[in-house]
Amino acid sequence: MESVWVDLLVAVIKILVILGIALGLGAYLTWVERKVAAHIQRRPGPMVVGWHGLLQPIADGLKLITKEDLFPRYGNRFLYNLALVMALVPATLVFAVIPFGPEFEVFGYRVKPILTDVNVGILLVFGLGSLAVYAIALAGWASNSKYPLIGSMRKAGIIISYEVAITFAVMGPLILAGTLSTYQIVQNQIEQNLWYIWVQPVAFVVYMFSLLAETGRVPFDIQEAEAELVTGFTVEYGGMKFGLFPLVEWYIEVLTLSAIAVVLFLGGWSPLNIPFVGFVDPLFFLGPLSPYAWFLLKVTALFLFILWLHWTLPRYRIDQITEIAWKIMLPLALLNIVITSLIAPFIWD
Amino acid sequence: MPWAKEKDLSDLKERFPGIDIKELENSTSVHVPKDKLIDLLKVLKEEKGFRLFLDHSVVDLKDVLEKEKDWRNLSQKGLIAFPEDRVSRFQAFYILYNVDERKKVIVKTRTDGTLPTVERLWFAGKWAERECYDMFGIRYEGHENLVRAFLWETYPYFPLRKDFPLEGIPEQELPSLNEVLFGDPLEGTMNYERRHTLVPTLEDLEITEKKRLKKKAQIVLNWGPLHPGTHGTMWFLFDLEGERIVQCDVILGQLHRGVEKLAEHEMYNQFLVYTDRMDYISALCSNQAWVVAVERMLGIEDVIPEKARYIRTMMSELQRINSHLLWLGTYALDLGALTIFLYAFKEREKIMDILEGITGARLTISYPRVGGVRMDLPEGALEVIKAFIKRFPKELSDWERILTRNRIWLRRNKEVGVITPEEAYYYGVTGPVIRGSGIPYDIRKFEPYDAYPEVEFDVPVGETGDCYDRYLVRIEEMRQSVRIIEQCVEKLEKLPKDAPFFAEIPKDRKIKLTIDGIGLKAPVGEIYSSGENPRGELGFYILSTGGTKPYRVKIRPPSFYNLCIYPRLMKDRVIADAVTVLASIDPVVGETDR
Repeated sequence: MESVWVDLLVAVIKILVILGIALGLGAYLTWVERKVAAHIQRRPGPMVVGWHGLLQPIADGLKLITKEDLFPRYGNRFLYNLALVMALVPATLVFAVIPFGPEFEVFGYRVKPILTDVNVGILLVFGLGSLAVYAIALAGWASNSKYPLIGSMRKAGIIISYEVAITFAVMGPLILAGTLSTYQIVQNQIEQNLWYIWVQPVAFVVYMFSLLAETGRVPFDIQEAEAELVTGFTVEYGGMKFGLFPLVEWYIEVLTLSAIAVVLFLGGWSPLNIPFVGFVDPLFFLGPLSPYAWFLLKVTALFLFILWLHWTLPRYRIDQITEIAWKIMLPLALLNIVITSLIAPFIWD
Repeated sequence: MPWAKEKDLSDLKERFPGIDIKELENSTSVHVPKDKLIDLLKVLKEEKGFRLFLDHSVVDLKDVLEKEKDWRNLSQKGLIAFPEDRVSRFQAFYILYNVDERKKVIVKTRTDGTLPTVERLWFAGKWAERECYDMFGIRYEGHENLVRAFLWETYPYFPLRKDFPLEGIPEQELPSLNEVLFGDPLEGTMNYERRHTLVPTLEDLEITEKKRLKKKAQIVLNWGPLHPGTHGTMWFLFDLEGERIVQCDVILGQLHRGVEKLAEHEMYNQFLVYTDRMDYISALCSNQAWVVAVERMLGIEDVIPEKARYIRTMMSELQRINSHLLWLGTYALDLGALTIFLYAFKEREKIMDILEGITGARLTISYPRVGGVRMDLPEGALEVIKAFIKRFPKELSDWERILTRNRIWLRRNKEVGVITPEEAYYYGVTGPVIRGSGIPYDIRKFEPYDAYPEVEFDVPVGETGDCYDRYLVRIEEMRQSVRIIEQCVEKLEKLPKDAPFFAEIPKDRKIKLTIDGIGLKAPVGEIYSSGENPRGELGFYILSTGGTKPYRVKIRPPSFYNLCIYPRLMKDRVIADAVTVLASIDPVVGETDR
C-alpha cells in the first residue's frame, strides 16, 4: 500500500519538475534567443529589465497577459480556443518520455528520471507531434481570415511532408537499438559503446531538416513569413494567446525534438563517444551530476545550432520545401534504412 | 543635349502630311494631328528606334487660351501644336527615347477630351493614360481598363484641370474629433472649418476594388494597403488559386498628395521641398534632378561653380548608397534573412549621420539649390566621408558572403520575375530594373549632369533580367558609387576652401538668382530633363509661360513605371514570389502616388 503512495509522490514530483522545465525554460529560451540574435546582429539585445535583460521574459509575459483579448467576428470561438489547447498539450506531453539521466536510488527507492518509460516511447513522440497539425489547421480555420488560412495550409503541407521523412529517418537508430523505449535506446547505445550518429549521419541530417520544418524555424518558417502573411496563422490571436504559439512552436517543440535527437543519435546522457575508443568523460568531476550535465549540454548545443541557422539564412519557398521533403529527404531516408539493415548485425554484436 | 535633330525625322514629313517638327533649344517635338498619332508613334517605335517609353501626359491649356499674351508667347516659340486651333483645350505629349542612338523626342497632339490609346505599343502608356484619365478626364478610345489611377472610382472631379482650385472643393461636413467626443464645437481660433474636400467612404473603396479586378479564382487576397511586404501603402489584389496567383492588380493613391498641382502654384525653389517628399528615401537625388532641370531651363548650367557640382554629385551618390542599403535590408528581410537588415541599417545610419552633419537634415534634405548648394561643406566632412567609404566596401563583401552564393538565396531569386529587354522597353522600366535586363540605360552616362561627365564609373548590367540580376546590379552600383565619391572627395580636397558654392550670374543674362530663389523668373519654354535616381529615371517636364511659377510640371516617377510590370511578373507565380519581385523592383509609394 505504501509503495503506491510513494510512486504517486514520485510521479507528482517528476511532473512538477518537468512542467517547470518545459514552461519556465521555454519562457527563458525567448531571452536566450533574443540575446543570441542580438549578438549575431552586433547589438546588445534586451538590457533594461534586470541584469542584461534577465527579467525580460517576465515583463513580456506580463504584457501579453494584460493585453485585451480580441476575437475575430464570425470566427468559431470553440475551435479558436481548442487550437491553443491542441498546440500546447501534445507538445508538452512529449516531455513524458524524455530520459534525462540514468536510474538512481533515493531512500532505497529506484527512480528513473523519466516520467513514464513506456515501451513505445518514440511512437508516442511522433503520434503527439502529428497532433500539432490539428492545432495549426484549427487556428487557421477558426480565425475566419484569409492570411491565417493560407498560413495554416502551408504549415499543414509542410508537416505532412516532413512527418514522413522524419519517421523514416528515425527508423535507422530504431533498427540499431531494437526497441522503441527512449530509456532503452540510450542504454543500448551505452552498451554498444557507440553513438548512433557515427553510423547514422544521413538519418541525423534528415532528422535535423525535418526538425526545422516541423518547428517552423528558418529556412522553413514559411507559415509565418511575416513579409507575405504578416504572421501566418496567428494573425487573429492577441495577447498571451498569440504568445503561446511561438512559445510552443519555437521553444517547446524545438526543445523536445532536440532532446529526442540527443536520445536517438547522441547517446542521451552518455558522455563524449569516440568510435573504436569508447566513452570519454571530461566532466567526470561532477560525479553523479555528470550525465545530466551532458544531456543539457547536448540539447543546448542543438538549440544554439538551430538559432544560428535561424538568424543567418533566408527562407525557402513553399514549393521548394515540399520538393526537398519528397524528392531528396524521403529517398535518402529510405536508402538509409536499407544500408542500416545491412550493417545492423555488426552493431548488435 | 541629346535630342533628336530635325534631319533625323524629316522623312516623316512626307509620309505624314500635316505634321510639324520643331527643334527648340531644350527639346525637339513632333506635332501631329490626333488621327495620325498612333501611326506616327508606331513608325517612331518600329522604324526610328524610339523604343523606350518615357512619359505621357496632358497639359490643360485653358488658362493660356484665355490669356492672349501667353498664347502668343507660347505659339511663337512653337510650344503649342497647331496654334491655329483655338478650341481644343488639351495638349497631350509623349516622350520617347532611342536607347541605341541616345536621342529623345516629344510627340505632341491637341485634343478636346478624347485620345486614341497607345496600349498596343507600350504597356506603360496604359498606366500613363489611366493617370491622365484620372487627373484630366481624357477618355482613351480602345483602352482596355480605363479606371482611375489614384483617386477612387466615384470621385467626381479631375483635379489637374486648371479650373479645379488648388485647395479643393469643400463640400463634405466632417466634425472635429473634439466635437464628436465631447459635443464641443470650440469657438474662436480653435474653431476649424467643418467643411472638407471629399474623402472616400468604405463603400467608395469597395466600388473601386470591385471595378479593378473581376474574381476568377478561389480567393481574392487584399494585400495591403497596410502590409509589411508592400514597403509603404500600396494595395495589391491577388486572385489566388491555392497559392498560385491567377491575376493581380494594384490600387495606388493612398499617398496621393497632388504634387503636380502644387508645383503649378509654387516658385521654382519652393517646389524643391516637395521633391524630397516624393522619393523620401533618395531625397538628395530628387533634389538634384529638379535643380538641374530648372538650371537647364534657365540656361545657366555652364555657370554653376565646380565645387557645387562636385558636392551635389558626391551627396547624391551617398544618398544612392543609402537608398540601396534600405533596399538590401528590406529585400533580405522579405526573404527571411533578418540579420542582413540590421547590418544594412547600421551602415545606413552612418550615412544618415554624415548627411545630417553636412545638411542638418536626415530624411527630407533640400540641400541643393538652383545655382549651387545651400551652404558649404562643414569642417571635417570630407574626412568623415573618407573614413566611411574606406570601410564600407569591406562590409559589403561580408554581406555578400552571406547572400550571393547562398543556395537558398539563389533558389529564391534565380528565374524569378524575369524581364526580357523587349519587355523592359514595352513596360518603360528604368534604373536598376532595366539594367538588370542587360540594357545599360543610365542617365548619368547617357545625359550626364553635374560632375558625372568628369568622374569615372562603370554601369553594371545583368544578363537574364531576373531578381538575382537586379540584386547583383544594385550591389555593384553601391561599389561604383563608392568609386564616384572617392573621386569627388579627391577633387573637393584640391579646391580652395573659399571657392564659391553658388553661381554668380553674369550681368548680361538678366537672371535674378539668389540662394532663396525668390523672384527667379524662367523664360517661356519647355524642358524634359531627368536624373538617375536609385530607382530609375526621375524626369521633370516643365512648361513655363514666363514668370516665377511653372505652368505645368509633369513628373516622371521611376517607381510608377517600374511597378506597371508587376502584375505581368506575378501572373502564375506563387504568393511567396510576390515579395521577392516587389522588393526587387523597389518602389517607393511617395513617388508612385505623388
